[in-house]
Amino acid sequence: MIEAPFCLLTLLLLPLSPGAPITPAEPISQAYSLALYMQKNTSALLQTYLQHQGSPFSDPGFSAPELQLSSLPPAAVSFKTWHALDDGERLSHAQGAFLALTQHLQLVGDDQRDLNPGSPILLAQLGAARLRAQGLLGNMAAIMTALGLPIPPEEDTLGVVPFQASAFERKCRGYVVTREYGHWTDRAVRDLALLKAKYPG
Amino acid sequence: MALSSVSQTAFLLALLSLRTYQSEVLSEPLPSAPEFLKVSVNSTCQCLHLQWTVHNLSHHQEFRMVFQIEISRIKTSNVIWVENYTTTVKWNQVLHWSWESKLPLECAKHFIRMRSAVDTAKTPGPRVWSSWSSWEEADVQNSLGQDPLFVFPKDKLVEEGSNVTICYVSKSHQNNISCYLEGVRMQGEQLDPNVSVFNLNHVAFIRETGTNIYCKPGQGDRIKGTVLFVSKVLKEPKDFSCETQDLTTLNCTWDPGSDTGLLKQLSQSYALFESFSGKKTLCKHKSWCLWQVAPESQDMYNFTLTAENYLRKRSVHLLFNLTHRVHPMAPFNVLFKNVSATNATMTWKVHSIGKYHTLLCQVELYGEGKVTQHNVSVKVDGAHLFSGLEPDMEYMAQVRCANGDHFWKWSEWTQQNFTTAEAAPSEAPDVWRNVKTVQGRCVVTLFWKPLSKLQAHGKILFYNIVVDYLDRTSVSELLSIPAPANGTELPLSQCSSQIRIMANNSVGTSPASVIVVSREPGNEEVEEERVKGTEDGFPLSWKPQPRHVTGYLVEWCEHPQDPPCDLQWKNLGPNVTSTVVSSDAFRPGVRYNFRIYGISTERVPYLLARKTGYSQELAPSDNPQVVMTNLTSHSFTLSWKNYSTESQPSFIQGYHIYLKSKAGWCHSGSEKAVLSDDAAVCCKYKIDNPEQKTFVVENLQPESFYEFLVTPYTSVGEGPHDAFAKVTTPDEYSPTLIRIILPMVFCILLIMITCYLKSQWMKEKCYPDIPDPYKSSVLSLIKSKENPHLTIMNIKDCVPDSIEVLNKQEGTRKSLTETESTKPTYLYLLPTEKRYSSPGPCICFENFTYNQAASDSASCGHVPAPPKAPPSQLGLLTSPENLLKALEKNYMNSLGEIPAGETSLNYVSQLASPMSGDKSNLPINPPEPALCSEYKMQMAIPLGLASPPSSGSSSLSSVTLLDEGEHYH
Repeated sequence: MIEAPFCLLTLLLLPLSPGAPITPAEPISQAYSLALYMQKNTSALLQTYLQHQGSPFSDPGFSAPELQLSSLPPAAVSFKTWHALDDGERLSHAQGAFLALTQHLQLVGDDQRDLNPGSPILLAQLGAARLRAQGLLGNMAAIMTALGLPIPPEEDTLGVVPFQASAFERKCRGYVVTREYGHWTDRAVRDLALLKAKYPG
Repeated sequence: MALSSVSQTAFLLALLSLRTYQSEVLSEPLPSAPEFLKVSVNSTCQCLHLQWTVHNLSHHQEFRMVFQIEISRIKTSNVIWVENYTTTVKWNQVLHWSWESKLPLECAKHFIRMRSAVDTAKTPGPRVWSSWSSWEEADVQNSLGQDPLFVFPKDKLVEEGSNVTICYVSKSHQNNISCYLEGVRMQGEQLDPNVSVFNLNHVAFIRETGTNIYCKPGQGDRIKGTVLFVSKVLKEPKDFSCETQDLTTLNCTWDPGSDTGLLKQLSQSYALFESFSGKKTLCKHKSWCLWQVAPESQDMYNFTLTAENYLRKRSVHLLFNLTHRVHPMAPFNVLFKNVSATNATMTWKVHSIGKYHTLLCQVELYGEGKVTQHNVSVKVDGAHLFSGLEPDMEYMAQVRCANGDHFWKWSEWTQQNFTTAEAAPSEAPDVWRNVKTVQGRCVVTLFWKPLSKLQAHGKILFYNIVVDYLDRTSVSELLSIPAPANGTELPLSQCSSQIRIMANNSVGTSPASVIVVSREPGNEEVEEERVKGTEDGFPLSWKPQPRHVTGYLVEWCEHPQDPPCDLQWKNLGPNVTSTVVSSDAFRPGVRYNFRIYGISTERVPYLLARKTGYSQELAPSDNPQVVMTNLTSHSFTLSWKNYSTESQPSFIQGYHIYLKSKAGWCHSGSEKAVLSDDAAVCCKYKIDNPEQKTFVVENLQPESFYEFLVTPYTSVGEGPHDAFAKVTTPDEYSPTLIRIILPMVFCILLIMITCYLKSQWMKEKCYPDIPDPYKSSVLSLIKSKENPHLTIMNIKDCVPDSIEVLNKQEGTRKSLTETESTKPTYLYLLPTEKRYSSPGPCICFENFTYNQAASDSASCGHVPAPPKAPPSQLGLLTSPENLLKALEKNYMNSLGEIPAGETSLNYVSQLASPMSGDKSNLPINPPEPALCSEYKMQMAIPLGLASPPSSGSSSLSSVTLLDEGEHYH
């Protein structure tokens, strides 16, 4: 199950190699395909995650939008604001978000390895989500290169915060991360669809 | 402020120590005031940790002191804990004490103070306490952070069944906070306006990943919670036991119980401690541990097994002597030596448990469906002799051992199979025979049953048969039949003979089974008796024989309906006069015949009794095929001679004849019966004798319809009520009539044949031939008178109107008028010369009167053939033009184009239409008066086409003249 995304990532990471094509259509198309693929699995990841955390997370219809992480930018944005963004800003926001998401998914994976050591399915899904986020980052970098946009430098978004968190806080943190991963993936699909329309292949 | 209080305390303590010093001078132990160095809070264990010192101690001075510690919650006056802590105090020693709070320390402020006294336990009298230290405050709420809500304790680990206190601290002064344990709301109590406390009693283990407890503030605020890790209670290890296999390693095992591992706690660990040697080992496995026995001779061992987790420690003890816990390894190298037909020696080796110990081994032998057991003492090598074994038998032997000096446990079994050698068969085969005579010679069919494994003592290879003739005139015969035959057919040169049958295996020959065939015929006239079968079989009994018999034998066929009837027999002792024959092959509705023989001392069998019966009788499934004969108006005879009573599914007791009639009443000799199948009323006749297979049904009505059925009846019912045969009795007078009519028909036939044979004569008499004038006797008379003027009219001079040709075979009458047909043919001719104007010689006949189809040329040539003119048109041909037109039209038209209203009947009637003139001028010449009478064709003309009668005659005559050549074709 994990091998397929790996193969996909290998393919999608190819544009990062030297001699990548200058035209943005191809990396946009690849990024769009990956984002669509990711979109299919985000809901399952969130559900699997919640099922493993116990009540109230595993309760039917659980939702806690008030839970946020200061280290993770929220994907929710007004349509007007989003629409007013130019390509560079849009890509830059997504780039920043997925960079933070990859680090947070790593953290959540570690947390769950402690909290739910007997749940290999959850751990595998978290690992796969992190790899896909990394793959999308690579694709976005290729798009920005092709569009001649500056690539923002990698930052340590997590800092030193998380290690003293209690088990409940870690569960909440994982919920926010898996939820925002879905939201950001949805947003990335919209972003890339817009770009795809602008730069048809 | 803290700094000032500390300095104040130091000042007071200084004063106190001064007083103490003064008291000590007064030779009394003075209480030493403690000085707090640190009060710290450990949130993980919810502990308050105190550190203090006692200042006024001199060097190398030790006191046993008591410290009374008071803890207050929220406010100093609310003392919740008082404890005396006794310890030995040295100079400049920092003292420690911890207290675990039930309530999470983050939920309330705590205050601590203490005082000290020299422990005067050895000397009676009241303690002299120092003054209290000042209250020390432990408050961690200030360091919580900026969140609006906190839930404590965080990630607490407790044992299942313990009591836990949960609290929340709200900084937003909300009072609508609700808290839940796994989705169930908890009821708490408010400690202060910002803090609520929930006491959970007997918490249960839910899952290894912990129990979620969370609190929800109002809408839009973040939920907060904590995870309570509830561990299962660590139990004592059960069934702790140690044993050794080789006196060098001890294997200790136990039942660990449930795993207490959690996220916050590893699974319990086990350690083994031996008190005599003082050695300890940590066990790598949860349920067993290995302990190396010391090389020096240590007999006694005292083990302590300790199980430990984060919360608890449990231990069990075991004291034993090493040599009493020997569990030997399974024996090995199990072999069999000197295996004969009845004996075998088993040998095996054991792992040594020291030269001073003897092993007790248990040997088991499985074979012949039983088990035998033997005990053997063994040092190193074991051996055991099995005797009394069966030849050619597979046995399974197994051996296990234990310490013979101090039994602890048996070792595992070690198994091995062996087979004893073959021996000669021990029993003579069970033989029976069937004797028949073929062309004057006795032919014996021998049957024998295969020997059982216990009797055969090996694989039977062949059967030897020796025939000794009793009158000694013939040489004995020897045959060998290869196994696995179970019988053979043997033609004997003489009937009186003794036959011996022996089975042979590779080792030897069995005793002989002897059968004597006697010349005397058997007592075949024994009357057959009926026997009733039961579920257990057929109970057979017979009279004991006065003369000496060596036994009895019952013979039967298992499949009497199939040609190889599978002959079975059963040998019985001389004192037995009854037996029950049972077989799985017995089927209901099948007749089995049993023959019981007595075996004389000369081994000659003679028939004693014959029995026949059914294991279960069944109602007949078929009715006889009935033939009906002698049908009269009052009776008929039914017959079913071919019906076999022997091959029926039950004993036939008789027959029922059912007769259905419309009359509805029955004569004497029959009774009314209602058939259940169709509720019809019948007359039932009953025949009690199963061998009476004819029946005359009498007293019937003539010309009546009857249905009848013949069905057998038995003790279990009668045959099926289907397929009634039907019969109608004949008329009472029909036979009489037949007697009259038949002769009459015969007479008429006779007359007709006679008439046919005499037809010539009849013709001569009734229809004589017309005399031929040329052959007339008158001619000769004329010729004789030589009168040349006299002549006879030549027929060529007469133009005939019509010629009738009769079917006359004489060649002399062949002429122009001859045709191939036997029918009379009519030729019509017109008078062509006026000189035959007088009537007389020219007389023609047309003898048919009715012609339905004018186009049918076979009926009469009178109709013009080629044009195929519809006769209906002929009437219109009143002029030559019309005629020509008609001709043209008719040549063009085919029959199929004839208009529907134009077909008509035509017929010929006498028409006195005088016609004359040359035939070549005919179409244009008017008709002249005819001299000859003739028959003319007349047509039935449709009404629409009818022409005046005046013109009809001329037109008809013209048609008749159309083409002479067409008539003479």
